[in-house]
Formats: sequence, C-alpha cells, structure tokens
Amino acid sequence: MAYDSQEMVKKVFNQNSARVDTNKGEEFYNNLFEKTKARLSKLRKQPALKDIDIIDIVESEGVNRRDFMKWASATTATLMLPPMFTPLVAEAAELMNRLPVIWIELQDCAGNSEALLRSSTPTVDDLIFDVLSLEFHETIMAAAGHQADAQLEDAVEHFKGKYLLFVEGAIPTAMNGQYGTIGASGETFQEHLMRLSKDAAAVVAVGSCATFGGIPAAAPNPTGAVGVMDLVKGKPVINIPACPANPANMVGVVLHYVLTGQVPELDSLLRPKFAFGYRIHDNCERRAHFDAGEYVEEWGDEGAKNNWCLYKMGCKGPMTFNNCSIIRYNDGANWPIGVGRGCIGCSEPDFWDKYAYERPMADAHIKAPTGGVEKTVDEFGLGLLTATTIGIGVHAIASAVVGKRSVNNGESEEA
Amino acid sequence: MKTVDIVERIEGEAKLNLTWKDKKVSDASIDFLNFRGFEYILENKPILDALVYTPRICGICGQAHLLATVNAIENLYKNSGNELQITNKAKILRELGLIIEIIDSHIKWFYMFIMPDVIAISKKQYEGYTPLKGEKWLGAQKGASEIIKALAIYAGQWPHTSYMIPGGVMSDPTLLDIVTCENYIDQTIKYFEKDIAGISIENYLSLNSFEELTLLSSSLRDFVDISFETKLEQVGKAHNRHLVLSDMIDVKPGLYNKKISNNIDLAKIKESEEYTFNINKKDNKKAHTWSKSVQYNKHFYEVGPLSRAVINEREFITTLHNKYDDSTFTRVMSRVDEIAHLLIYSKKLIKQIDISEDSYIKPKIDLKSLENITATSSVEACRGSLVHTLSVNKGLITKYDVITPTVWNLGPKNNIELGVAQKAIIGSKSLNESKIILRSFDVCSVCTTH
Repeated sequence: MAYDSQEMVKKVFNQNSARVDTNKGEEFYNNLFEKTKARLSKLRKQPALKDIDIIDIVESEGVNRRDFMKWASATTATLMLPPMFTPLVAEAAELMNRLPVIWIELQDCAGNSEALLRSSTPTVDDLIFDVLSLEFHETIMAAAGHQADAQLEDAVEHFKGKYLLFVEGAIPTAMNGQYGTIGASGETFQEHLMRLSKDAAAVVAVGSCATFGGIPAAAPNPTGAVGVMDLVKGKPVINIPACPANPANMVGVVLHYVLTGQVPELDSLLRPKFAFGYRIHDNCERRAHFDAGEYVEEWGDEGAKNNWCLYKMGCKGPMTFNNCSIIRYNDGANWPIGVGRGCIGCSEPDFWDKYAYERPMADAHIKAPTGGVEKTVDEFGLGLLTATTIGIGVHAIASAVVGKRSVNNGESEEA
Repeated sequence: MKTVDIVERIEGEAKLNLTWKDKKVSDASIDFLNFRGFEYILENKPILDALVYTPRICGICGQAHLLATVNAIENLYKNSGNELQITNKAKILRELGLIIEIIDSHIKWFYMFIMPDVIAISKKQYEGYTPLKGEKWLGAQKGASEIIKALAIYAGQWPHTSYMIPGGVMSDPTLLDIVTCENYIDQTIKYFEKDIAGISIENYLSLNSFEELTLLSSSLRDFVDISFETKLEQVGKAHNRHLVLSDMIDVKPGLYNKKISNNIDLAKIKESEEYTFNINKKDNKKAHTWSKSVQYNKHFYEVGPLSRAVINEREFITTLHNKYDDSTFTRVMSRVDEIAHLLIYSKKLIKQIDISEDSYIKPKIDLKSLENITATSSVEACRGSLVHTLSVNKGLITKYDVITPTVWNLGPKNNIELGVAQKAIIGSKSLNESKIILRSFDVCSVCTTH
C-alpha cells in the first residue's frame, strides 16, 4: 500500500491554486468606500446600546491609539479591503456598540462560547467583545430563568430586523425535534431557531455543529441533526465552521457587517471568503518541509522533533479551508499543527465521518467538499485574496519539488 | 404549589421543577432536555477516532475526556497483556493539561456562573460581579484566558485539543515552551493572590481553622460574607457521601461515608436508566430527563472538588466540612480552594519535566489485532470523577460508555433514595436559593446528556 499516489499529489499541489486576482478595481472600492462612510455616519447618530467605548477599553488594557490603528490596518487586510479603508475599520470598531447581537445555544457542547470567553488579552479583536452589544447569551448574561426568557423576547421585539443572530449547536430534527427542547414552554430547538431567525437581519452559524450538523450529525446521526442553513431560508446565513470556531472570525463577520451593512462575500458553503478562502496548507508554517519532501513518519520520530510536515500522519491541511495557520488559537498562542498534531479538517462538512483520524489522505478515498481533492481554490470560484497578509506564490515552489524524496521513499518502503 | 424554572448560565440548560409545601421545597426534579447520542455515534468507528470525538462531548472538560479515552485505549493494551510504556514526560504533559483545564474552569465557574446569583440575594451591592461589565467579571475572563494559554502552548488549542495518543503525546515542547507555560501559571498565582483570595498563596494554603476565614479578602471574602449573611452554610446539604475514583491531580481515590476508606472497586459502579429517556425505548412513562443515574455500591455519591478535599483530608476544607457538612458554602469554598492546590501542584509537575525524554513510544502491537477486549478508565475532571468504558474488536469500537461527573451529582433519583442535587435542594426556602444550591454542583447539561 503506498502512502501517496505521486500523480494525485502532483495534481493537488501543482495547480494554480491560490494565485488569484484580489483586486476588484478602483471603481468598486471607491463606490464601497462612499457607501461605507455614509453607513458609519448613520450608525454614529444612533444611540449606543451599550455604554462602553472601545477606546476606553483599549486604553485601560494598555493598548495605545497607535496599536489600535495597527490593528485596524491588519484587520483591513484580513477583510481583503485596500488600505484606504483602515480609518473606516477603526471607526467601525468604535461603533460596534450600535449592533445588537443575540446568541443562542442548541445541540452543542458550549465549546464555541468557551472559545469566545477565552479571548481577552489586550488584542483589539478580543476587546471588541466587551463592546459588542450582546443582548442575549444564555451562558454568560446576568439574567436567568423567566427573566432571561423575557429579556430575549424584549430584544427580539425591540431590535426587529436589526439584530445578528448567532447560533451555536446543531438542530435535531428526528422524533419531532424532541431530542432538544428549550425554555419553560418546551419549544423545540428547531422552532426556537425558526422563530428567532425570522426577525434577524442575518443568521451567523458558529462552529461546525451549527454550520453542518457537526458531531451530532456523525453516522448514524441518531438525532437527525442538521445545520442552520438546512432550515433557515430566505435570510442571509453566514457559516463560521471549525470546532471550535475561531473568535477572530466571529469578530471579522460582525465588523464587516458594521462596516457595510452587508454580509461578507461567501463561498458556496456560505463561509466568508476572507477567512475560508484558502487552505490551511497554503500558509502552513510547516509548508517548506512539505515542499522539501520532509515528513513525520511516526509520532515522536526525528521528523516530529524537527517540526516536519504532518501530511503522512493524516494531516488534512491540504484540503481544509480555514485561516488557522495565520491567526492560530487562544489569542495566537498556538495551533494544532504548531504542536505536531495534524489538522483534522474540523471546518469541513462531515469531517467526523470522512476525515478519520489517522488515515493519510491518499488512503482515505475522501471526496473534498469542493467536489474532489483535485479541485483548487480558484476553480472553486474564489476571487478575493489579498497578498498582503497571505503568502501567495508558495505553489510555484511546490511544483518543483513535489514527489521528490518522500514519495519515492514511501513507495520503495512499501514495495 | 409547583413551579418550573429554567436555569441558564450553566453549560447548556436545565429545567428545575419544584414542589412547594409550607414555603419550602418538598420535591424537586432536574431535567436535562437535550441529547446528541455520542455513545451511539462511537459504535463501529475506528478506535483512534474516539480521540477526536470524546473531547467534543463537552466544551469545558475536553481534556478530561481526551485523557479518559487515551487511558481506556492504553488499558485495552494492558488487559491484553501488552502494557504500554509511557514516559514521565508524556504523563506529566497529560496531567498538566488536565490540571490547567480544571483551574480555568473553576475560575470561570466562580465568577461567571455562581457569583451573579449569589450577589443577587445579598442586601448589599456587589457591582464588580455583574456579567459582561463588572470589573471582577472581566478580570475572571482575562484570568481564565491567560491560564488556558499555558495548555495551548503545547496542546495546540483549547477547547477541543487532541494532542494525546496511546503511547504518549504528539507534541514535543521546547524549553522555551515549558518556561512560557510556567509563566502563565505564575501569572495565575498572582491573579489568585490579588483577585480571588486577597492573600498570598502560601498564606492561603496555611489556613486551617474556621476563625481564619476572616484573613481572606477580595472575592473569596465577598463570598464568605454573603454566605453568612444569607445562610448558605446551612443549605444545600445532600447525602454527605463522597467519592473519588482516580489518582491523578494530586489526590488519592477513596470514598467517604461517615468515614474515609481507600478501597475502590470500579466494578461496583452501576448505571440506571429508570427515569431516563431512551432512544430505543420510547414508552418509558417515568422518564423526565436525558441524564442517567449512577451508583457506587448501591448508593448515590457526590463527586467533585468537595469530595476530593474531604477524602484527601485537606485541612482547611476538612475543617469547614466538619462544621458545615456538605453545604453550599462548603461546596463553593472547596471548588475555589482547589485552584490554589492545583496551581502549586502544577508548578511542581513542571519542574519534573525532562525535555530530553521521548514524547511517544510506539506500541509494539497493532490496535487492530485486539479481539473482543474491554477496558475502563477513570479521570478526575473539574466537576469530579469521569469514567469511560470501551469495548473493541478488530480495530472497531463495539461499545462505548461514558459516565460523567454531572451524572453522579445531578442524575435522577431511584426508588430507594434521592439523587444528590435533588436531596440538596429539597428543604430550600426560595427559588433563588434553590438555584444557587443547584449551581454549587457546577451543572453541565451537555456532559450529562452526551
């Protein structure tokens, strides 16, 4: 049994892939700039929903104005906008307390809420959650019980058509939804979701359960679990998959909405392209070792000690679209590949069943969500990457070296 | 009279049904009304896949589930006569991960889950604890975020890491990683001294009498003051039977039933579904929750930080326990007390890491060669003892059973005795008080109903 089919590997990595044109033209950006400016000045006239100022918070945490502008500049790039938008991004951050957010938990493990709560060092991304007007979040708000029920109803009524609804957890549909009920009335998760999404400006599905059904939907899917987009129709749905979803991407979506009043550009799985427009592999810190054909062959071997590529240990980075290789986890403390554990593809649909733990990709007969392993980013219709934050061009290097030493080694060992 | 209330600000949601007589709770039932079906999903999956599934049972205690799975798989090897060799380094990195997660959870639970209710019953104002705004609430958010980075440094992320593997761990931290990890722990010690106890950690750990409660200041002092103002030391008493199943995190296994015994036999654990909804049997009229119940030697036992402190005779908590039994006051104090013990213990563990050791030693035989073998493991999680039992055949899981700490504490009654939390709540004089009693167990709906 060969670890890799040389042909397949060549196909995957030698295509044009991330070489995409990110520039939408001057006219487009000028137009967007004017629209955004108008929107922000309208927002500024609205009363703040929460009496907290980002600048106060930023300063109380020891971040100065200059650092704040640096953050704004980096965030502008992450959102794939030209540098002229930087002052607007900064202004949008200040106006986040005008945007009502309701967060509900359905068939979940609370992992995304936990991730959200675990981001509070003085990076501006994290401080934003102190400013955000979180009108309802059952795990962290002050109210509980009937009082909380009332607070939720009030928020829905008061911010009709204006709030962003964040959903964490899948929705069980089997047995008339009796696998998950909520509140004193015993409303099913599905009824709850449908009722609250009706009056939302947009619905943001956070984490792989809310987006694709996640673990509850793993075979044999005992509770008939599905994701938000399977149920909510006629309403913008934004998916932020991963297990847990990265808080930085939650911020990105909110900020984009404050900035433009629109949802960010999405791919066919409704994921924002600014975060899911490229693969883990494209920007992986171990990519050079892949290109050099240097692989970890076994946990704890010399390759593992030298941080070589984890592809042969089953890393799903080459087929997983997400930006963890850039923003990492826990305020950038680290990420799975950083500690020598391969990517498990947790932001892809059905990764539980398809992307099993230890099997190298080439053995797994996986059909990638984009239609096949060989499909690459640009074939998938991506037109939106900025070169400033993303290391584009790695594929040129890849093409020269793929299949060199390791693949041959692999085959000869197995032969 | 009956009341039904929904308890949020726990992990998930619980429905609390109370029956009142003479202005006191005469009966209580706790319903958990969501279900995902992990035990069904794990059947027929490749064995190692469990390492990715079980941590996702709970977004809070994923490390505990991961470790329980790894231990259970390693026990499969052991039961087949092929015990694996695990280096000290790997053992420490695993245990340290578990400890960091517990510290993190206790900090968050105290400030975010129980204090907002506790301050509400006091006549005085304690604004610092207001969710999302109060300075102490925000301080806890920062404190919890900082300590968890000690784990992310070598585990990759939190929640939901999967860095452990049968035979060791996948990561190979450098000296710089270890120093960084220790630095986060030192920062958390400072946070404990300044914000939680208000005294140095050495002074805190030398406390050993009821009178010395007055030496505390800061948040813990606020809690003590409110407790005696509102009589939390008199309420929330359950069976006062305690159980610890695992020997990690600096505790010994044992049980307490009027006196301490250290003989534990995992075979005496029995689960029951008498009051539990079941995916296959839909006509159970008695069923009102997705949580099962579990007994040790035919009795309900409490698990968790209070049980760990009592069975290991930690002086300060033992003193409080002698005076106030298993009251809500004692239970909350033990959870916070454990933060101090674990911070110091984690420093000790870090000092023992020899980075030149291997992280992983490859098992000599293939998991797929094991036929019809069952193994059990137990781990101390933030909320108490966690048990995983795993049966496999030729590389596939044939049965996976998980008993979470919250099942011990919050599972339904049986026809002989009341469940632990149920017993604690009965007799309470107000709804708010009942909810505080319930919260003192650190309720986790998502674990309970996996």
